[in-house]
Amino acid sequence: MKYQSVIAGFGGQGVVFLVKVLAICAGNRNLPFLGTENHGMSQRGGAVSCHIKIGDFTNPVIDNNQADLLIGLEYRETLRNLSFLKTDAYVVSNDDPKFPELPFKTAKADAFTKAKNNEFPIQGLNVFMLGLTLASVPNFPFSVEEVKTAITQMNAKVAEQNIKILEMGLDAGK
Amino acid sequence: MKQTLMGNDAIAWGLIHANVDMVSGYPGTPSSEILTVVQKIKAKLGLNTYAEWGTNEKVGFEVAYAGAIAGKRTCATMKQVGLNVASDALMSASYIGNLGGMLLVAADDPGFHSSQTEQDSRIFAKFARIPVLDPATPQDAYDFTKLGIEISEKFQIPVMLRPVMRVCHAREIIEMDDETNYTPNKGEFKRDIPRWGAVPRKDRYPQGIEQLNRIETLKEFNWETFLSKEFDKCNRDDLLIITSGTGYGFAKETLVDSGVEADLVKVVMPYPLPFEKMKEYTNKYKKVLIIEETMPCIEEQIAAPNVYGKNTNTTHKIDEMTKERILKALENIDAYKGENIYAIPAMSEQFQIPEVAPRPPALCPGCPHRDIYYAITKVFKKKKAIYPSDIGCYTLALAQGAIDSILCMGASVSMASGFSIADPDKTVVATIGDSTFFHGGIPPLINAIYQNHKFILVILDNSTTAMTGRQTTPERSHKDIDIKKVVEGCGIECHEYMYTNKLDVTIDFFKGIKEVYEKATGPVVVVAREFCILDAERAVDYVPMEFATVDEEKCVACDACTTVYKCPPMEYNDNGKIEIDPFLCAGCGACLDVVCPTDAFIEDTSRKKDK
Repeated sequence: MKYQSVIAGFGGQGVVFLVKVLAICAGNRNLPFLGTENHGMSQRGGAVSCHIKIGDFTNPVIDNNQADLLIGLEYRETLRNLSFLKTDAYVVSNDDPKFPELPFKTAKADAFTKAKNNEFPIQGLNVFMLGLTLASVPNFPFSVEEVKTAITQMNAKVAEQNIKILEMGLDAGK
Repeated sequence: MKQTLMGNDAIAWGLIHANVDMVSGYPGTPSSEILTVVQKIKAKLGLNTYAEWGTNEKVGFEVAYAGAIAGKRTCATMKQVGLNVASDALMSASYIGNLGGMLLVAADDPGFHSSQTEQDSRIFAKFARIPVLDPATPQDAYDFTKLGIEISEKFQIPVMLRPVMRVCHAREIIEMDDETNYTPNKGEFKRDIPRWGAVPRKDRYPQGIEQLNRIETLKEFNWETFLSKEFDKCNRDDLLIITSGTGYGFAKETLVDSGVEADLVKVVMPYPLPFEKMKEYTNKYKKVLIIEETMPCIEEQIAAPNVYGKNTNTTHKIDEMTKERILKALENIDAYKGENIYAIPAMSEQFQIPEVAPRPPALCPGCPHRDIYYAITKVFKKKKAIYPSDIGCYTLALAQGAIDSILCMGASVSMASGFSIADPDKTVVATIGDSTFFHGGIPPLINAIYQNHKFILVILDNSTTAMTGRQTTPERSHKDIDIKKVVEGCGIECHEYMYTNKLDVTIDFFKGIKEVYEKATGPVVVVAREFCILDAERAVDYVPMEFATVDEEKCVACDACTTVYKCPPMEYNDNGKIEIDPFLCAGCGACLDVVCPTDAFIEDTSRKKDK
């Protein structure tokens, strides 16, 4: 299997957390993978674009026209990263009234409004979008249970809360 | 044992599994996590390892180097520009050598992600005549760390490990030692004055001869250990690609994706290369393409009419490696004639990828630096001032128009001297962070006092190395080291300002400093005691949890907040009024009274005040 994902957002949104969750999922199944993360200056609220390539790869960076999936934690960051996608790729994005119709299979949810309505704390936005991904991307390489296990391995203390938000994302995608 | 690790974690584990028990260095992206992970492993396994930050890279290198002279296995970590600072020590150490293995990790940043230069530390290794290992992946980084220590101890010379950002911050499953049987060398300094205290020219000249001989031996070692088996796998005569580091991973994938057939040689140690032996093989090929980041290190060692790379304008010369760039290089030497498989696919007729406004990094919401810079530009007007600054988070005040120059660590102070001499009609207001002040700001301050250079220096003391991930600074862990006392010790007054979120108080303080400056004959130094909003330990004492919102009736869309104060939550909404993004507002309350000329910022009393 070869599966290339781009996870985009801006510094502070927890993009790197999602890369780590997917890395743990792959590790648990002993699937080879290579991921790349943004650290340092790019973390100060700037645009963040992290990549994870699952399968037999030798470098962690995704080139244009290669990715199977883009998860965008903010609509402008989704738009900024579209060039990475293959034509048959999936997009899972935080929605916005200004978000255009895309020529990709797209799942959207207005996670900012949900967080403003106190449905979940904003820190859980990343996990919410992962839940939406699990519900709406049929060829996503990991199951809900695998993701829950990885979230627990990441940080057992907040796992219960994160899994609750993951399920809200799953519901939003049904 | 299989473990999912980031490249820098892998290097840290490699050090522990190589029995390194002294690690020193200075933080810098992309190298910073190496030392902090060693500290974590030390705590987890209860090891007696020295793993501490130095005040700068030169200090870090020298601490580790002395350890290696005394027989310990040691490591110094830094980013590529940090090696510029440590280079004085490195150049000399390469003559003298060491007994215990010493690994110098110089992490490069192709693509300028977080660095003021791109450079290529392998070239520095060549300049210093020390061997360099170039890992392609986190697995390589782990393996080469252990290997580097072995090579260093075998040849009694520091060895460089040169991971690039795409190795340091890459993540994969690593195969590493099952157990940690940590058995560090016992440190014992053995007096050998002609070696450790080598003087010019009597002792240094023979050491220089030894250095040259060592490089010849290392070339032989490189061939026997790494290169001969790589060349043995080759059997074509049309195209050979020689790569090192990430170049290997990118080149291999490009060959698979494009269907181009070529022999591929991965160089583990790009310097010193046994070029005479390599040429016996490379001469057989019609074309040899070199894929490497970021400068022509391998290429220049094996240069020949059939060798293509940066110097023949075949491969890219600046910026990060991409597969598209390798494909282009293959096209340039007529090895690929197909379409660009990495072109952005044509979207539908109705849809073109829209232009999205850039989102550069910015000072965090609630960062006290913003207020200090706001006050500086209010009191010392741009037309009559010059603002030299330095390397750190506060560099991001560029967005406020509060910074005129950035050179390298510590340069704000010495450049303030230079500007004050060259353009004495303007007030020079320099800014530097606490970690950068200790790193390189003290010698230029002493120089300015000594030479009576008249300018204002504002030391922004948030008691952490914030930009690289909040590493400990000298005064944070050792309270007796105090910036104010350091400045006073240099013989002048230090004006201390305790940060408050009341902007008018900050502005009034700088008005007072302006008066002091007018009467001064030398430098006027301010230390602003601040905090870092991301510093969980200290920020809680400072942030009042006063969240802002906007009275739309009062907002006249004058741009004052979005151009001069520039706090990220402030953005125009569809009504053409400023709106505060509640998810970004940190509750610092600093914008509530001065920033808006029409007082449109008001406290959002609906938000909880619990800390």
